[in-house]
Amino acid sequence: MKKLVESSGIEIAYKEVDVVTTGTFGAMCSSGAIINLGHSDPPIRIQKAWINDVEVCHPGAAVDLYIGATIMSETRPFEYGGGHVIEDLINGKEVDVRATSYGTDCYPRTKLSTTLTKDDLNQFYLLNFRNCYQRYDCATNSRDETIYTYMGKLLPRFRNATFSGSGAFNPLMNDPDYETIGVGTRIFLGGGQGYVIGEGTQHDPRNRFGTLMVRGDCKKMSPDFIRGASFTKYGTTLYVGIGMPIPILNEGLAKKTAILDEEILTDIVDYGIPRRERPKIGKVNYKELKSGAITINDKKVKVSPLSSLKTARRIAETLKSWIENSSFYLSAPAERLPTDTVCKPMKQTEEIAFVNSLMHTAVTCKEDEEIEAVAERIINRSVNHIVVADDQGKLRGIVTSWDITNAVAEGKRKLTNIIVRKVVTTKPDESLEAASRKMAQHQISALPVIDQDRKVLGIITSEDISKLLRR
Amino acid sequence: MKNLVRILLRFSEEIVDQPITAQVILEHGIPISIVAAHVDSHGGEILAEVPEAHVEKVVNAFREKGVTVTVPKLIEVDSEKCFECGACLSLCPVSAIAFKEDFSVVFDEKKCIGSPCGLCVDACPARAIRLVEQHSSVSHFSR
Repeated sequence: MKKLVESSGIEIAYKEVDVVTTGTFGAMCSSGAIINLGHSDPPIRIQKAWINDVEVCHPGAAVDLYIGATIMSETRPFEYGGGHVIEDLINGKEVDVRATSYGTDCYPRTKLSTTLTKDDLNQFYLLNFRNCYQRYDCATNSRDETIYTYMGKLLPRFRNATFSGSGAFNPLMNDPDYETIGVGTRIFLGGGQGYVIGEGTQHDPRNRFGTLMVRGDCKKMSPDFIRGASFTKYGTTLYVGIGMPIPILNEGLAKKTAILDEEILTDIVDYGIPRRERPKIGKVNYKELKSGAITINDKKVKVSPLSSLKTARRIAETLKSWIENSSFYLSAPAERLPTDTVCKPMKQTEEIAFVNSLMHTAVTCKEDEEIEAVAERIINRSVNHIVVADDQGKLRGIVTSWDITNAVAEGKRKLTNIIVRKVVTTKPDESLEAASRKMAQHQISALPVIDQDRKVLGIITSEDISKLLRR
Repeated sequence: MKNLVRILLRFSEEIVDQPITAQVILEHGIPISIVAAHVDSHGGEILAEVPEAHVEKVVNAFREKGVTVTVPKLIEVDSEKCFECGACLSLCPVSAIAFKEDFSVVFDEKKCIGSPCGLCVDACPARAIRLVEQHSSVSHFSR
């Protein structure tokens, strides 16, 4: 479509093309599968259950279970989770099921252990409440350390970036006003056929962040298009393949489906700042993202997709072949996706404390001072940390009472030899929770507070935080 | 830049105290660059780069002096597990991982620096990348 519109114009394209197929294959965390085990004898009303050591949710009556993609194995956390259980079942593998209950007059059983395959299940349906984001942020990291996020591994100081989504191949991007998409739209789902059952959670159409809620029969899916996955130090998820046919009902749709990667913009977002509103540091389009490198702060930075663009294309092609050989029929939605809903932030009833509420003036020194002078300052001001700053007040390092003691024991005289140069820092608007997590991770007891230009604004110590907790 | 080939040199306890690498360089006048090395009195391993045109000569020279030479495999990609998302691409400092035109992910073993790096391994959502242990014999010696 994209090439035809460019070469022959919209009018011809509208006449020539009946359907445009789209596709995406990426990590979709709000996914899971509903299964029905059939009744045991004597029967059990399951209260808690595990499949391959992954706790599964028991939302309904006796033997219905929901396998959440992000629930991690209790024995192999971060490596195996609900997404992998779904993949294993689709692959025909046997899984171990354990369940416990309190026992009732009608369901006396309190313990159950069995092995099952998908053939033993009555129903095995993928039931995903937020999939197929229209587009997504490009993630990068300003911190001095590597961070592990749901957007993958992000190297320090903007050394790489990641993105998600298939750009111009994305189903919702090709019909941004949802003229043909809604409840009952038949789609390609995980290698089988499924349906849109409504807008997904956090559907945000006005900002072009639409989402889908979908359902499909797992027994007919293929592991080529549905995979369990692990994000290091973040958790497990499910990669889901979704393809959607867009019938070209009018010239407008011919024009919309001709959308190009370079026309789809998204924000470059700093995931190094763990706040709801993460700082946006620029804009980028999907053509740049797919090229492998983007520009951040005038520097060329490598960028990785988290979605498989190859599989996205394969999904669109597979769907096309299904339509051509009449094994897939398009359906009109019973109700279109909403175009005017908004995605609100959480209403919070408790105050969240930030570093600026607890930070205080740092006791500082210069690099060329004598160790004795610094030791004296530690005693006089009764502190454990001395922040080393230059003449402009910019952070140069940190020295602790331990470092000084050590230096004295080893007979070191020069302060410059004992200054710790690699300093873990915080900012005034960082939450206390994030700051104390940093201290715990690095096994340190204080963080200098600095501004954008690395100017020292103060210090916060673990003592300050424990005092706050005792209040 | 000339094409360089990686070779893995294993020195046994008997020969580890001899300046073999220096001798090979001096005798043949071929530049050898050392990418990674782990050497102690019990033996050693050196991952080296040599110009492609001289590989045979260098390998033979080392073998004559009793060194075990292999062409190392640095990372192993399980093609069954890999679903070609490309999450690893931006982690690789030597651009050993790239997309083909159809967005297939390709690994260039000649460029990969293996165990001193390994940045891609824990970035793989499919857990499809495995570092091939380069210092197996050394860790065995130092037990």
